[in-house]
Amino acid sequence: MAIAEESIITLEEERRGGPHPLAGKEMMGAEMVIQVLADQGVDMIFGYSGGAILPTYDAIFRYNAEHAEKEIRLVVPANEQGAGFMAAGYSRSTGRPGVFLVTSGPGATNCVTPIRDCAADSIPAILICGQVPRAAMGTDAFQEAPVYSIMQSCAKHTFLVLDPEELEATIRTAFRIATTGRPGPVVIDIPKDVQNWMGKFRGEGYLNLRGYEKRLAKLRARRVEEESMADFFRMLEQSSRPLIYAGGGVINGEAATELREFAETLGIPGVTTLMGIGALDTTGDLSMHMLGMHGTAFANYAVEDCDFLIAVGARFDDRVAGKVAEFAPNARNIAHLDIDAAEIGKVKNVTWSYVGDTGRCLDDMVRHAKRTGFKKDFSAWRKHCAELRAAHPLNWDRDSPNIQPYYVIEELNRITKGEAIVATGVGQHQMWAAQYFDFKRPRTWLTSGSMGTMGFGLPAAIGAKMANPDKIVIAVDGDGSIRMNLGELETATTYGAGVKVLLLNNQGDGMVRQWQRLMFDERFSGTDKTMHKKDFVKAAQADGYEFAERLNIDEIDKVPKMLKRFVEHDGPAFLEVMIDPAALVMPMVGPGKSYREMIVGEWIVPREQGAPAAQMDGKTKADLF
Amino acid sequence: MTSTNGATLSAPSATKHVLGVLVENHHGVLSRIAGLFAARGFNIDSLTVSATEDSSMSRMTVTLCGDTAVIDQIRKQLDKLAEVVTVEDLTEQGAHIERELVLVKIAYPREKRTDLLEIAATFKARSVDMTPETIAFEISGNQEKIDNFLTMITQDARIVEIARSGVVALVRGPGGLRKSFYED
Ligand SMILES: Cc1ncc(C[n+]2csc(CCOP(=O)(O)OP(=O)(O)O)c2C)c(N)n1
Ligand SMILES: [Mg+2]
Repeated sequence: MAIAEESIITLEEERRGGPHPLAGKEMMGAEMVIQVLADQGVDMIFGYSGGAILPTYDAIFRYNAEHAEKEIRLVVPANEQGAGFMAAGYSRSTGRPGVFLVTSGPGATNCVTPIRDCAADSIPAILICGQVPRAAMGTDAFQEAPVYSIMQSCAKHTFLVLDPEELEATIRTAFRIATTGRPGPVVIDIPKDVQNWMGKFRGEGYLNLRGYEKRLAKLRARRVEEESMADFFRMLEQSSRPLIYAGGGVINGEAATELREFAETLGIPGVTTLMGIGALDTTGDLSMHMLGMHGTAFANYAVEDCDFLIAVGARFDDRVAGKVAEFAPNARNIAHLDIDAAEIGKVKNVTWSYVGDTGRCLDDMVRHAKRTGFKKDFSAWRKHCAELRAAHPLNWDRDSPNIQPYYVIEELNRITKGEAIVATGVGQHQMWAAQYFDFKRPRTWLTSGSMGTMGFGLPAAIGAKMANPDKIVIAVDGDGSIRMNLGELETATTYGAGVKVLLLNNQGDGMVRQWQRLMFDERFSGTDKTMHKKDFVKAAQADGYEFAERLNIDEIDKVPKMLKRFVEHDGPAFLEVMIDPAALVMPMVGPGKSYREMIVGEWIVPREQGAPAAQMDGKTKADLF
Repeated sequence: MTSTNGATLSAPSATKHVLGVLVENHHGVLSRIAGLFAARGFNIDSLTVSATEDSSMSRMTVTLCGDTAVIDQIRKQLDKLAEVVTVEDLTEQGAHIERELVLVKIAYPREKRTDLLEIAATFKARSVDMTPETIAFEISGNQEKIDNFLTMITQDARIVEIARSGVVALVRGPGGLRKSFYED
């Protein structure tokens, strides 16, 4: 691929106003890699070294020796997957792409899961892999893996650098691709001899991606046309029950401020997806919290009741839409704002759409409303929503003698008040955290939404803490999920990353057990861990945690005090809470079901008498997932 | 692929489409595109790749069947790939030229030779190799013509082997993919 010549790219850093100070300098390929990373503002690299990436690790060492005031911090995990999720935690919490750097073969293949995880949740990240020297490629050389083919089916984009002259442009282009349009991870595979190559550093230049750049320029220039804007407001005018449905695109697209402004100006309440948590302030009046499979009952009722659904940066995922044809059954109109044209009409037909920067679109809408004096009174609908919230709140068995997970999170939330960064594993604890924590700001809720990757929580929390040393960062993990990357417990103490690890131990794979209970006649195949021997507190102590505590299942009284000590502890802290293994995530809209079939369990008040019982009908289970 | 709006590849409304795709001439791009079709479960009938008048680009021609929603989704997914320069649905644009080159070797009963050569002449197929038992024909044209030719010759002969190039296509008139990319 050619270096872009008459480039259609005009970039901020290109307007530096003069050549790069190092332009023309003879450098090794590896040095160029690090120099471009530094130019891109990278202050931290998560990674693990090895034969094929040695020259680049050496270049970091030398770079840092020369730039003591502006070091690139190197964070070494226990496993490359951990590095990937640390980079993801860094990225999700800051919006800047996290970078991870690994060796060829096993180093690279250990990164497949985080790369796919980032792609599925549209998280910008950069993975640099060492590769065997060009001459050895294709010979089944030691630690050779077909990284290009493996990664290209998982990442937003993948580069294999075969021409060293293109190396520096490739690194820059990777950042460009990762952070523009619908963001995503980019993988760069660099043969060792390309790292060792000596050449002239240019300090500028991108690879030629004409189509991508052109589409991007169009996307960026796009505004809602006058006529289309009028259509939107006509739909809003005709509506009496409009509802915002905000997804991860609002977070990733930095559109939360505009969304809040839009909601407040027009007086429209909103629900968010799991990925969209933080798009609205969950403590605010207009927030109806999370919708979907484990959304709040009141959110799902609002979706059922709305007559105009405004989807922003959301994609009607199966965990949200359930039975698509019956999703938002009373919505006469559906508007869909998204950066990705392929999402419009992919799952659900909509009556109005805009493809482009959602924040800009919302901002234009607010201006339009103000300019035209658009006024429509939705107070009756807001009152209805408030009543739904009051009548059908989340709830659980408050008299149980056993510690309930909901209680633990509710108490923790009393301390952190919606200001903490929370990362999770995958399972029931993830859903409880989503339901019971408040989130006042975007980029404070870090969860593996689309992939649902167990093992995400602990390393993501570490990455987020390293990027946000002044914030409280809590990893809410399950006993299954934490085992997946347990090695990273030590990474936190090694680097003094003061994460708070809250382990909700229900002695097994609670979420899977929940499905087995509801759909497989309680045959707990492969999900019971009551006989497992792990002493997590000892494990944490062994890894250097000065705060490592356990609350037994009946020690309810001790919960508030213990949580306070846990959060206030200066440095990494580990707290295991033994919770009621029978606790369920409720409500639940079964897979492929309509919201009308939502079950609410014993403790949440449904709005219809005779709502479906807490048992899923066995007939439909064949293909559901 | 099934979209929940009810569009499926085998839906009765499915029609044949020819997509012209220009891509950056970059290592691995073919596997990237083929991978997209595989991962998303889009069935394609043929895919060809070749160099173009501009050495920095390759051209792919993809033929596939689907209804509008499916084809639209495929186009949009292709559009997301960073190396894709431009995608156009040539069928949708109406006038386009479409050709496939076929080499087919048949085994025939001797007394049918003249008949077969006559059929070939009618279809402007050329015989390019001949033995007492077999003839190899070369034919090019749109798929309909080729299918008709194959139907005709297999009435009296048996196909020993066949190699098809896959469809290549151009828009009619003065325009072209690269031109409209740069002018649009
Ligand atoms: C890597 C991975 N493997 C398997 C699964 C399937 N899965 C989803 S939730 C779950 C159980 C999680 O157990 P735990 O972390 O203890 O959470 P709990 O549900 O008990 O709170 C499993 C096995 C997954 N999501 N990710
Ligand atoms: Mg568990």
